[in-house]
Amino acid sequence: MHSNIIIIPMMVALLIPFYEAYRDDNVWQKLLAFSSIACKTALITLVASVLRDDWMIGVVGVLILSVGNAGLMLLAHIVKRVNEA
Amino acid sequence: MSNGSFYIDAIALLLPLSAAMVVTQANPYYSLITRGILGAVAALIYTLLGAADVALTEALVGTLLAIALYAVAVRSSLVMRLGVLQDEVPKNAATSTPDHAGEGTGNRTDDEAIAHPFNQLLTELRTLFNQYHLRVELVPYDNPQLLHQALLQKDIHATCVHASIAAAPYQLTTRVRRLYEILQAGLSPDLIQLNHVTVSDAAASHYQPSDIGSVLVGEEKS
Amino acid sequence: MTENITSFVGYAFIALGIFLWFWGTSFLPRKRSLLFKLHTLSVSDILGSIAIIIGLLVKLPSEWPLLILAIFSLAIWNTILGYVLAYCSSAGVDHE
Repeated sequence: MHSNIIIIPMMVALLIPFYEAYRDDNVWQKLLAFSSIACKTALITLVASVLRDDWMIGVVGVLILSVGNAGLMLLAHIVKRVNEA
Repeated sequence: MSNGSFYIDAIALLLPLSAAMVVTQANPYYSLITRGILGAVAALIYTLLGAADVALTEALVGTLLAIALYAVAVRSSLVMRLGVLQDEVPKNAATSTPDHAGEGTGNRTDDEAIAHPFNQLLTELRTLFNQYHLRVELVPYDNPQLLHQALLQKDIHATCVHASIAAAPYQLTTRVRRLYEILQAGLSPDLIQLNHVTVSDAAASHYQPSDIGSVLVGEEKS
Repeated sequence: MTENITSFVGYAFIALGIFLWFWGTSFLPRKRSLLFKLHTLSVSDILGSIAIIIGLLVKLPSEWPLLILAIFSLAIWNTILGYVLAYCSSAGVDHE
């Protein structure tokens, strides 16, 4: 019950960058939407793990939170190189 | 756990949605970004269903490694390498090395440089190939022999040199049939003169240095 | 009584975080400049997420190592990511 109250608004917030990634045609706007989605999904994982009192899922949530950012930076640099050439 | 299944079902609907977005995306870079979104959503669903190890693998391998590898692969394969002569290219045209292009060479808005016919041609080429998500990369060569040799050895996809007698100011020779068709459909004939040469695999591998003389004659005739 | 107060404070923080999420993300579909969107999005994603995590921390203190780690990871990595995105995108625009 409590978990539904918290997670359902988070899910609705997740839908906004989803729509943006579908609609916008600029590569940077899409990347921005992706970064937002990556952060939000990791945080939903973390909240679900804490509410279920499940340590294993929580560790995975934190790992996804930090690793997703690293991958995004890599992708941003490659896209920048492509735009320059 | 039983009361949690409602929002898991709702989130699971996002998975086919993002997968459809990946499949219908025409631009390879956009579909890479959408693939990242798909990976994030998939990892979320796997963790909510209790499969933490699968989710971690999806995030590390499926999203991080796959996107990095595909980004490098797409960047290095979707490119047209255009061989040019060193002294025919204006100094501030972007060459093959992106490091040089990054240091403010493109920022200088030199009127003379913009008006240079080669830069106009390059702009035309880039807008044309942007529709096919191709980059145009300039590869400068010192003399016509090396340029032609590179074309025969499949180092470059096309060459672009000054045409001395022809109606068009530049002459572009390509060895790829599809590139020739795209260029023919997209560029006006008074801007550039197009040629297509067939380079067989045998010619590329058994190329002898003694052929340079005949190549040079052919180049000067044009 | 104290249980009720901590529970309320926890929910208040979580509500604040979710409100920040909605506020910052609502600028994303609008026609604004990229850097403006990046600013609101980093405010919402970093501050909102940290508020949600603090709310969880107040409600359920037993999982504190995980949550503290998440706060540090958010505060450091997302800030650097925001900087990298801004740097890369503005460098791309300058060359147009």
